[in-house]
Amino acid sequence: MSSAIELAGVQHSYGDVTAVGPVDLVVPPGEFLVLVGASGCGKSTLLRLIAGFEQPTRGTIRTAGEPPVPGRGAGLVFQQPRLFPWRTVGGNVALALKYAGLPTDRVGELLESVGLHDVAHRRTWQISGGQQQRVAIARALAVDNPLLLLDEPFAALDALTRERLQEDLREVSARTGRTCVFVTHSVEEAVFLGSRVVVLTARPGRVALDLPVNLPRTGVSPSRLRALPEFAALRATVRSAFEELPV
Amino acid sequence: MTVPLSTVDPAVAPAPPATGPRGPGATGGRRRRVLLRIGALLVLYVLWEIAARTTRNPAFIPSPAAVWHQLIVTSTTHDGIRGYSGHLLIEHLGVSLRRILVGSVIGVAGGLVLGLLMGTVTVLRIVVEPVVTFVRALPPLAYFSLFIIWFGIDETPKLWLLSIAALPPVAVATAAAVLSAPAGLIEAARALGASRWATVRDVVLPSALPEIGTGVRLAVGVAYSSVVAAETINGVPGIGGMIRDAQRYSQTDVVVLGLFAIGLSGLLIDALLRTAENRLIPWRGRS
Repeated sequence: MSSAIELAGVQHSYGDVTAVGPVDLVVPPGEFLVLVGASGCGKSTLLRLIAGFEQPTRGTIRTAGEPPVPGRGAGLVFQQPRLFPWRTVGGNVALALKYAGLPTDRVGELLESVGLHDVAHRRTWQISGGQQQRVAIARALAVDNPLLLLDEPFAALDALTRERLQEDLREVSARTGRTCVFVTHSVEEAVFLGSRVVVLTARPGRVALDLPVNLPRTGVSPSRLRALPEFAALRATVRSAFEELPV
Repeated sequence: MTVPLSTVDPAVAPAPPATGPRGPGATGGRRRRVLLRIGALLVLYVLWEIAARTTRNPAFIPSPAAVWHQLIVTSTTHDGIRGYSGHLLIEHLGVSLRRILVGSVIGVAGGLVLGLLMGTVTVLRIVVEPVVTFVRALPPLAYFSLFIIWFGIDETPKLWLLSIAALPPVAVATAAAVLSAPAGLIEAARALGASRWATVRDVVLPSALPEIGTGVRLAVGVAYSSVVAAETINGVPGIGGMIRDAQRYSQTDVVVLGLFAIGLSGLLIDALLRTAENRLIPWRGRS
C-alpha cells in the first residue's frame, strides 16, 4: 500500500524568509502524526502544504500518491472553528455533505458522533467554543476522507474542554483508522494523541526528532494512559528535544 | 461514519442563547430614550412656534397651526377642490413612494450585480469603479436634464433618475463587502470542497449581506432625497411636484407639509428596512 503522505525535500519560503524545510517525511496510512514545535517554526505552514493551500518552493508533496488539492481527500480543522454564522449548526455540517454530493440526512448522526445532541437547529453563536470546535470536527469528518488534518484545533479552549476533546479525537482516530496530522505546541498533547511525534526546529522548521509512540490506543482510559511511566518517559524525551533546540 | 464519542461535559455545555439585552435595565433605558425623543420634539415644536410668532411672516416661517391646517386641506375636498392640485396628500405621497420603490428596486438590483462583478472581476473593478464614483458625485438634477431630453417628461426620466441615484451606494457597498469577505471562511469552504461558484454563493455573498443591507438603506435614502428633484418637471401627482407648485405660489406651509410627508415616510421606511435587516441577517456582527 502506498503511503498516505509523502514529503520529499519540501521547503517553503515567504519572499526571502524560509518558513520550513527541507523536510522529508513518509506517513503510512492510519498513522496519527503530531507535528510539535515552538511558535513560528513552520508547523502550520507544513500542514497547509499538505492540505494543498500552499505550494512548496522546493521539493514534492504527495497525498495518496497525488499532489494535494484543497477539499479533495482531506478533512481540515483549523485553530478557530471557522463556522459559517449564516448557517445553523446542522447547516454547517450539511454543507460538507452537499459539496461531496452526499445526502444531507446524516447531519444529526454526525453531530451525535462528536457528542452534540439537539443543537442542529441552533445558531453557531448560540453554542460554546468547545461545541463549535466539535461542530468543526463533525464537518471535517462528514466526508469519508482518508486524511484528517488538524491545526492546533484546541489551542483556544479552556484546559478541561481541551482535555475532553483530546480524548474524543483519540477515540475517533482509533475507531476510524484515518491518517491524522495534528499540529500543536503542547508536548503533553503531542504524546497523548500521536502514534508518532515529530519535533520541528525553530524557523526554518526541520525535523529535529522523529519519535514513534507505542502507547496503547485502545483499552486504556485516558487518565491511566497519562499515568503510565512510558507516557512520562516519552514526554520527557520530547521535552528534552525541545529544550535542546536553539531559541 | 458513526463514531459515538463520550458525552458532553459541563465545560462545553451550551452557552445561553445570544439574544439582545432584556430586563428592567433595558426597559428603563428604552423608556428614557422615548422620553428624550418626545422631549426633543416638544422643544423643537416650541422653538418653531416662537420663530413663527417672532418673524410674523408666514411666507418665511409658517406656524405649526398653518401646516396642520394644510394637512387637513390637502387631505380632504374643500369647496369642490380636491386636496392639492386635484390630488389628496396621500395620493401625492403614494405616487412618490411608488416612484421611489420602483427606482430603488432597479437601482439596488443593478447595484448588486455591478458590485458583485466589481468585487470578483478585477479588470471590471479597475474600469467601472471611477465611473461609479463619478456618477455618485453628480447631483441628481445635473443628469435629470439629460434624461428629460432623452425620455421626455413622463415617468421614464423620473425612474431613471431615481435608479441611477440609488445604484452607486449598493454597488460600492457590495464591491467592498465582497472584497473584504473573510479569507478564513473562504478557505474553510475550499477545504470542504466548494467550487469557485459555490464559495461565492455560500460564503462571499452571505458574508457580504450585512454591508449590502446598509448599502440598500443608503440607496433608498438617496432615492428619497432625489424624489423632489425627479418631480420638479411634470411631477404632479407627487410630493415633489406638490412642493414645487407650492413654492411657485409661496405656499410655505404646503412646502413644509410636503417636507414632513417625505421625512416621516422616510423614517418609517428606514425602520421597516432595519427590521427586515435584523430578521434576514441575524448574523450581523457575529463571527
